[in-house]
Amino acid sequence: MDKRVSAIRTFYLSLFFIVLYIPVLSVILYSFNKSPSTAQWTGFTLDWYRDLFRDRVIVESLKISVQVAVLTSILSAILGTATSIVSMYVTRKMEKTIRGIMLLPLLVPEVALGISLLIFFTALKLPFGILTLVLSHSLFCVPYVYIMVQLRLKEINKSIFEAAKDLGATRGQIIRTIILPLVTPSIITSSLLALAISLDDVIISTYMSGPTSTTLPVHIFSMMRVGVTPKINALCTLILVGTFFIVGLSQLFNKKVL
Amino acid sequence: MKAKAKSLKKNAPAIPILVWIGFLVGVPLIFVVVLSFLSRDNLGNIVFKFSLDNYKRMFDPIYLRVFANSFLLAILTGFITLIIGYPVAYFTTRLKAKKRSFVTALIVLPFWVSSLLRTYGWVILLGKTGLINNVLVGLNIIDQPLNMMYKFSTTLIGTAYMLIPFMIIAVYNSVDKLDRSLLEASYDLGAGKWKTFFNITLPLTIPGISGGFTLVFIPSLGMFFVSDLLGGGRTVFLGNLINTQVTRGRNRPLAAAFSVGMIVLVVLVLLIYNRVTKNKGRELF
Amino acid sequence: MQGPLLSIKNINKYYGDSHILKDVSLDINDGEFLTLLGPSGCGKTTLLRCIAGLENIQSGDILLKGRSIKNLAPNKRSVNTVFQNYALFPHMNVYDNVAYGPRIKKSFKGEALEEKVAQVLELVQMTGFEKRMPDQLSGGQMQRVAIARALINEPDILLLDEPLGALDLKLRKYMQTELAHLQKRAKTTFVYVTHDQEEALNMSDRIVVIHKGKILQQGSPREIYNNPSNLFVADFIGDRNILKVSIIDKDQKYFTIKVGNTTVKVRYSRSHTYESDQALLAVHMDKMKISCQNGANSIQGEVLSIHYAGSQVRTELSVGGEKFTVIEYQNNDCDYKIGDLVFISWEETGALILPMEDIEESES
Repeated sequence: MDKRVSAIRTFYLSLFFIVLYIPVLSVILYSFNKSPSTAQWTGFTLDWYRDLFRDRVIVESLKISVQVAVLTSILSAILGTATSIVSMYVTRKMEKTIRGIMLLPLLVPEVALGISLLIFFTALKLPFGILTLVLSHSLFCVPYVYIMVQLRLKEINKSIFEAAKDLGATRGQIIRTIILPLVTPSIITSSLLALAISLDDVIISTYMSGPTSTTLPVHIFSMMRVGVTPKINALCTLILVGTFFIVGLSQLFNKKVL
Repeated sequence: MKAKAKSLKKNAPAIPILVWIGFLVGVPLIFVVVLSFLSRDNLGNIVFKFSLDNYKRMFDPIYLRVFANSFLLAILTGFITLIIGYPVAYFTTRLKAKKRSFVTALIVLPFWVSSLLRTYGWVILLGKTGLINNVLVGLNIIDQPLNMMYKFSTTLIGTAYMLIPFMIIAVYNSVDKLDRSLLEASYDLGAGKWKTFFNITLPLTIPGISGGFTLVFIPSLGMFFVSDLLGGGRTVFLGNLINTQVTRGRNRPLAAAFSVGMIVLVVLVLLIYNRVTKNKGRELF
Repeated sequence: MQGPLLSIKNINKYYGDSHILKDVSLDINDGEFLTLLGPSGCGKTTLLRCIAGLENIQSGDILLKGRSIKNLAPNKRSVNTVFQNYALFPHMNVYDNVAYGPRIKKSFKGEALEEKVAQVLELVQMTGFEKRMPDQLSGGQMQRVAIARALINEPDILLLDEPLGALDLKLRKYMQTELAHLQKRAKTTFVYVTHDQEEALNMSDRIVVIHKGKILQQGSPREIYNNPSNLFVADFIGDRNILKVSIIDKDQKYFTIKVGNTTVKVRYSRSHTYESDQALLAVHMDKMKISCQNGANSIQGEVLSIHYAGSQVRTELSVGGEKFTVIEYQNNDCDYKIGDLVFISWEETGALILPMEDIEESES
């Protein structure tokens, strides 16, 4: 009986993962196709990858994306961690309120959020570009940092804080010598997560980009709307490699998955 | 009086954070609501006069159909991800430690892959000259390539594919927390595996299911790039509608109204979620 | 020094509507090993935390060396705590854990600090463990580091919250003696919390029995053991049989009471007041003897069961319809079996008469 269940289990999971990964693998596969159409496979080539590096627009938008992502990541790390630590010291009601407000950006559909920010920033007459991109990206990245740091904080034995107090530490000293060292792995992991999320964002970036600064995903999206070419495949594959590199980095700091 | 002053002092450090988020989320949302009650003139400028025109237009059959499409898409996505994803989560919890972390990593990995890539993959697969058709025609299983793109179902596949990791993770957390001894007690009392599943496991994992449903439902409402790439814009969804009104239609007030409609829908779903998991220890995270 | 080191005066503590500490007053003397003893939930840990400053009191005062500390934050009191789960900082090694207090308060630096750490580690016999991380230490070792971390600050009082709870029996017994010796070596006042009466009797100079937020009795282990002031203390400390009896007569030295059908004499204790002729007989289970012959001052009972537990023989009997247990450590001449009628006698100091109380009331 158990063997049969085990077989079903293996079958179902294998089938699931095959279906899950085929789309991704097809993209990678066809990035090496000599023919610009997926109708035939005419040979293996790296030409499309070479084309990428010559494409000015792509390189420019990549630069913008990276700048935005790094700034977002740093900003989110600071704000998210600060919020997490502050919520340890406020009343329970306030803690719940903070939590609700923190999760709010994740609950509003990106389109609605994008539109509202578009209208808002226009009204404030802010220049659209890196500034608006970083502000809007931070909006949905801060919650991730907050959540992950919160999770880590909850795992810490509360009596450690009492012990520190008992030994004479002020609140500031406790934060500096006990809390921050213990949550640093979570901060790093969640910052890398924020980096990846920011790099990948399409919807909000569509509205927040300026005339001279579009992010890479926004550019890719417009490429995809025009038509299928292996150049897109090559670009996507490279991004995949880059993202996995970031994931690998974060795994070094934190043994848990996500 | 003393207690209130005390909690105010305690809560003071939280104020800058509340201001920050309130400013960046609350104020824009207020702007959107206000804008939805305004209109634009022929030159594309905003007319600052209170008007319910936008909301009246929302009840136009054409636009109601858009809402219906999106709602249907979201609900179907929820069910599909649930039916496919629940077993995945369940089976994974039953695996032993090493295999389990490996499988969990495999489930979570796509999450890190660019969402555009994941959608584009289906374009490659489902196109008339796409991979699936190539294989089927090449193996002589069919004569003519299948027409799979640009349909409602195509968008559905793409959306479900994109969001299934959320459902799996939500259900996984719920099933994992299940006390195994409850199942053993059920077997001990004579119930078979299916009966135990329907009477014990399923009811106790409702928090996970509702959480997953919510996590999947809400984004489905707004992912316009999926319906753009896979649906070809033939079926109009809420996300597309809002997007086109802003970019091509240049009618931001109208787009604002639709956004408000979308947000109302989301709030409804969240209220339902709250209701369902009232005393059952809901934990979205 | 004149007067007690720590003086707790009439403190009350509430958790919401729960009245946790009810008008508690206690003096603690310099250099003593004082134990707060009581069942779970009686308020002993709360009392300890009030002394530490980790809990607020709603009324009353706490005076350390004559000065009120009730408004001082925990990091400003010269009182240190050893927590139940040790609470060692997981990201610091033993040295850094122990050096934390002085570093924070900047009381020692450089070589002076190194010397201090070495001194206190030697006191707890953990020299050589400086570079180890907490997750590399055993329970007993962690506990000693926790004590060192507290003692290095030279507190006026060291508070210990059930520190031996997580250790296995053998290690616990060993640590009990160790801690008692350590206290004398460190010449610091220890206030110790436990629910284990044997532990308290082993280690303390003075025991304070707490029940439902009130202090029931305080005194030396011997006093508490031999002269419990009421039913709860008599029942909680030491294994005793409690029987309802009637007082028939009394004189200068003895009560004459009726147990079942027998009349027997029990010593008279002046520390109680007896309001009626209904009373409670409290006898130590292990201060009795079973014999086949009727002696002077014996009661009769029927053997219900006999258990052999290593060095003990535990016999359960029925005396006048109520259950009675006798624990003996030696072989008995009388070879009795289940169903036999035997005679039970006790040492004079092993039994006493307590005023009648509603037994249910004191148990809840």
